Amino acid sequence: MKCCKCNVEMIEKKTTFEYLGHEANYPVLRCPVCGQAYVPEELAKSKIAEVETLLEEK
Amino acid sequence: MNTDRTIIRYTSSMCPVCLNRLPAVLERHEDGVYLVKECPEHGVYSTRVWKDKIDLEDWIAREDPLDEVQRGQCSGDCRSCTSTHGQDTCCVILEVTGRCNLRCTYCFANGGDQTAEPAYEELCAAIEDIAVQGRGPLIQFAGGEPTMRDDLPELVRYAKEAGCRYTQINTNGIRLAEDEEYVSRLAEAGLDIVFLQFDGCDDEIYRKLRGTDLLETKLRAVTNCDRYRIGVTLVPTVVRGVNDHEIGNIVRKAAELFPAVRSIHFQPLTYLGRYPGAISGDHYTLDELMADLCEQTGIPEKALLPSRCDHAMCEFHSTFMVSSRRQLIPMTDRAYDTRRERTPADRNRQYVAEHWSRDSSAENALNDAGSIDGEFAEYDPGIPLVTQSSESMDFNEFTRRMRTHTLKISAMAFQDAMNIDLERLYRCSLHVYEDGKLLPFCAKYMTPARH
Repeated sequence: MKCCKCNVEMIEKKTTFEYLGHEANYPVLRCPVCGQAYVPEELAKSKIAEVETLLEEK
Repeated sequence: MNTDRTIIRYTSSMCPVCLNRLPAVLERHEDGVYLVKECPEHGVYSTRVWKDKIDLEDWIAREDPLDEVQRGQCSGDCRSCTSTHGQDTCCVILEVTGRCNLRCTYCFANGGDQTAEPAYEELCAAIEDIAVQGRGPLIQFAGGEPTMRDDLPELVRYAKEAGCRYTQINTNGIRLAEDEEYVSRLAEAGLDIVFLQFDGCDDEIYRKLRGTDLLETKLRAVTNCDRYRIGVTLVPTVVRGVNDHEIGNIVRKAAELFPAVRSIHFQPLTYLGRYPGAISGDHYTLDELMADLCEQTGIPEKALLPSRCDHAMCEFHSTFMVSSRRQLIPMTDRAYDTRRERTPADRNRQYVAEHWSRDSSAENALNDAGSIDGEFAEYDPGIPLVTQSSESMDFNEFTRRMRTHTLKISAMAFQDAMNIDLERLYRCSLHVYEDGKLLPFCAKYMTPARH
């Protein structure tokens, strides 16, 4: 997959996500030039949603 | 009490002598917020309910005053009430005995004063009614001392089968410490949570509050519950001058005993049932408890959140992830706690019960070692109890630890004849079963003041 802005091939990289003051990481595709991350819908609806719910419910 | 005052809110209360409903007002004075009321027959009463260690208006900002209809619905006389209550049931308490093997200085239930005990069949009928009325509630078996009954495991099993989602016992822990086979029967019956009376880590405190040394007994009870994977909540009754200096040590002990201990639920002293002398005019308030907790542990005050299920003045709660060095990492922050709507009682119940109980499947399935016990170092009193920095982890590890590595610290401030505020009572989700009715806790145990 290529970055839509830089048109270079994206590479998988461990990426830190922050939500409500807490951090967790996960490997996602990143653009080596601009750093933009690609978050697949599947990941957003599964693991990310799960983390969000756990943090919101506390 | 100073005469320079500002009115914060109009509400309703009860006369501490005749228990008739009275208009009341929350007034700010120089040294805190007072609930002031006047009974035409018995006079004016003024009781400090908040010490302004935390700003009360901020704390109750999302707590709307009762409107005229709601005020009309709440007389404070819950036994004869046929109106709508302001909150559903989260937890229902069922008294299974009046007997007790202690004689505590303070006891809201007057435990040990009665020897009569309901028959097993009578309690089964009550459990069925509770399961229906409470819509699958968390049921707490209480007393007296519920472990005085040999058939408590059978009652726990019956409650599970009748549809009570979670089961809990409220106990002094003596039998759990002395009778491991009994603990194993309770676990097998499906007991989820032990609410363990735990007033401190010094026997002097137990001698004052409970009449005897109990620390070793409490620790043995925790060990036995751990063996059978029953989650333990430490429940300290906090009494000014007796154990208000011990709050930090209780939290440190919980960190040391984690994951056997899953939470701490502080209960500031309330003058319900049995207490020596007259009601003290100087209650140990919820905000005073929060201030002492923060001072004695290093927990940041912003980690403590007001309840959104019960009234904000009744409860705070907080969640901490326990690190591998047994340090507490705050997961709650008031800056992010902005939701306007109330938490429904069933959602609150599921959330607290899941955190108070031990999720054996999560503990076992998500760890190669088969148990999370080995993931924690020996407790080290030399390192700070609270830290802000969590270990870096990925989503899978984070979700696992949020389920299995969290310690909850909360408190519930009950109300007595002096400080009862019907706005708080109206929103109570903690109920006691009595003759087919679910009574809010403080209404059930309300005791006219002795002077």
